[in-house]
Amino acid sequence: MAISFSARVRIAPDVLFRLVGDEGVLVNLNTERYLGLNASGARMWDVLSSAGSIQAAYDVLLQEYEVDPARLRADLEEFIDALLGQQLIETPSGETPDPA
Amino acid sequence: MDLKTEIAEPLVSDLAGRTLGAGRRYRYCVYGLVIVSDTPLALPEYSHGGLGELEVLIAPADAFRAALEGARFLSSPGSWYRYAFLQDGATYVRWDGVGEFLVAAGGQRILCRREDTASSESFQVYLLGQALSFALVKQRLEPLHATAVVVGDRAVAFLGSSAFGKSSLAACFLEAGCRLLTDDLLLLQTSSIGVLAHPGPPRIKLFSKVAARFLGPTAAARPPMNTDTDKLIVPLDQRRSCATPVTLAAIYAVVPPREACRMPDVSIEPLSPRAAFIELVGGTFNRRLVSADRLTRQFSVMTSLADRLPVKRLAYPRAIDRLQDVRARVLADLE
Repeated sequence: MAISFSARVRIAPDVLFRLVGDEGVLVNLNTERYLGLNASGARMWDVLSSAGSIQAAYDVLLQEYEVDPARLRADLEEFIDALLGQQLIETPSGETPDPA
Repeated sequence: MDLKTEIAEPLVSDLAGRTLGAGRRYRYCVYGLVIVSDTPLALPEYSHGGLGELEVLIAPADAFRAALEGARFLSSPGSWYRYAFLQDGATYVRWDGVGEFLVAAGGQRILCRREDTASSESFQVYLLGQALSFALVKQRLEPLHATAVVVGDRAVAFLGSSAFGKSSLAACFLEAGCRLLTDDLLLLQTSSIGVLAHPGPPRIKLFSKVAARFLGPTAAARPPMNTDTDKLIVPLDQRRSCATPVTLAAIYAVVPPREACRMPDVSIEPLSPRAAFIELVGGTFNRRLVSADRLTRQFSVMTSLADRLPVKRLAYPRAIDRLQDVRARVLADLE
């Protein structure tokens, strides 16, 4: 992944998110693509989109989930890569960096 | 059929300045919409409405030619189905051998013309299905590609693309005394008391063998819908069809036949809201009209439905002799 954990991510323009039950669904109005999130993914999205940095999001999630820290880091990186690939998030500069 | 007529006003002019719709008007209700038509339609008389209103007018061929000047067709030149989005926001759709339709930008009017080779029944299938779906979406409604039956006092919907077997399964339910609510196009309305499913035209499209098996030999003694299919249009009387909205109990998303053929038994799997949302979006009836506005509305409607309704995946081997098993499993699941 090309982005540092000190970076902040934000929801890309024209992206809608909604909780359904304890899961989540997103749509990118520009690409017309949908993405479904299970409960863990919905929680990751919620924390990532409101945290001041990816590191801050990681710290919150590490508190919530009984998981190996390295495993959580890898899962979070993979999740962010997927969101970047679907153009659902972007960095504060407005650019969406290429996923690693 | 008892038809209600009203004084013809206001009148509509086509692009050549000719007056359309003069004379008698007929008023109906279908999918929760009020339809005012200048030609009789095989629909129940008006009894209720609320989701919107639509005018259907017969127009001559040159009215369509004038509207299409300079239009760019989005379908293949050799296709029997052609459509174009016009500069004024209207949509033109045509099926060779059936007829052509011009849906106004706001979806409040459909001009139509039946080809001589098409039966009135076949023409109305396309008018009140595919063509009407453009009007529904333009009126900010979201039709689903589903067939629904009434079991007791509740509706059950079978969601899936064409040729998934929805109508055949519904016919099996009719054999057991259930009534058809709608075939192929379903419009839902959320309310404080639940999700209402609105009735469609009182007819079902079936292959001859299925019609004979579940509705009797008389139902199968009809000509095919058009030259491109062996399906029949089977009208249903009040005993076999429901003309009023019914609360929806559940939606069963039918697994594609090519996947289900490997399954030996009937399978019903409840879906999470996320998976239900994906199925509902995949089951939208009209995929031609795409815009950010529509996607936003569709997103809202489908997430709301996924949150409120049980949606289940239904898989079964595609054999006519197994449909009664499927029916029994669905009825047991509904208990």
